[in-house]
Amino acid sequence: MAVLRPRRRQADSDEALIRALYEEHGRALLAYATRLTGNRVAAEDIVQETLVRAWKHPEVLVNGKGSIRAWLFTVTRNLVTDSVRARNARPTEVAENPAHQPIEGDHSEAVVDNMVILAALDKLSGPHREVLVELYFHGRTVTETAKALGIPPGTVKSRSYHALRALRDIFGGPQVALKGVAG
Amino acid sequence: MTARDEHKIEALGAYVLGALDEDEARELDEHVADCAECRAQLAELTGMREALGELPPEAFLEGPPEGGDLLLQRTLRRVRTESSSTFLNRRVVGVAAAVVAVALALGGGVLLGRGNGGGQATALPTPSTAPPSSATVVPGTRVVSVTQDGTRLTATITPAAGWIRVNASVTGIPQGQRCKIVVVSKSGEQEVAGSWVVSAKAAAAGTNLDGSALIDPSQVASIMVQNFDGHTFVSANL
Repeated sequence: MAVLRPRRRQADSDEALIRALYEEHGRALLAYATRLTGNRVAAEDIVQETLVRAWKHPEVLVNGKGSIRAWLFTVTRNLVTDSVRARNARPTEVAENPAHQPIEGDHSEAVVDNMVILAALDKLSGPHREVLVELYFHGRTVTETAKALGIPPGTVKSRSYHALRALRDIFGGPQVALKGVAG
Repeated sequence: MTARDEHKIEALGAYVLGALDEDEARELDEHVADCAECRAQLAELTGMREALGELPPEAFLEGPPEGGDLLLQRTLRRVRTESSSTFLNRRVVGVAAAVVAVALALGGGVLLGRGNGGGQATALPTPSTAPPSSATVVPGTRVVSVTQDGTRLTATITPAAGWIRVNASVTGIPQGQRCKIVVVSKSGEQEVAGSWVVSAKAAAAGTNLDGSALIDPSQVASIMVQNFDGHTFVSANL
């Protein structure tokens, strides 16, 4: 390891970071940005910018608080807001360039609240999250979910109960966690 | 509280999510009318369902975008261009630590951060305290994360001299399954990188294990989790 040239090592780390974020969050971010902008091409630019910002601010990914996903969603959301604002700006005004907006830009309270819930969701255990996704997001019944996941209906019920309880416990906790990430 | 009541309370989660069948929902309606504890629970759980309703629906999606990795390649190109042109030398350790943190959040985080459902338990290292050794990522290290039919595999493949180290986090496999991590080479050769049996705890919180496989780092094609009957739970291409 010690003989490796730093630049090469840096390039590989950079690439591994971007890949890992893309593999885990790419689909969610692109779908989110596409819905907000109504434009797939613009959405891709925004997701690219979001990932690049994460790479430029590795400290937000390692600060031990909150959720990476909530941070990424917040950045995406702000970039969309900025680009809409730039588009709506009068020609005589200087258009804001999203590429140079600090991430510490404005967060409306509503967005921050959403992101607290998102961070809570992100902290659920895999099995808890998975049952919620089936029941809530896909709107499946207990019976359908049990079949899809290969677990007994009783387990689906108890997991969905404990998942909602866990969400409440996390969500009810101190909200500074997410603000630390967003800022 | 009787075991039967406990049962009823646990059904309240599915109830507020509208996932019970009609008969069961009606039965629970009647029970809740008579049970103050269940009514209190119901109010809380309804509050959480409403909170979920404020989330962007995309928050429930996992994995990479559908339809290829053009966007990934574009982003990587931009990062390469920017890092070769500018200011970035001083942040080597920062990014390396972030890669480790992201890998932990993807894999270990499922166990450590999400696993206990206990608030701010995310076990990410901080840049200021992470020693350089743990913050260094071996060049060519690859991280994959896939979810198939409820099983999630997040694996870090680290090249060694002619072989690979594997760290895998696996969630969503039922208790009692006897599992193995199998690495497949480009020529179809298979190597087992580790095996285990899913405990009750692991069925709930997932399993993390380290292994290795004698496959050249450049020849790794995919990694999968199978049981000993040959059923493949999840498979990820590299």
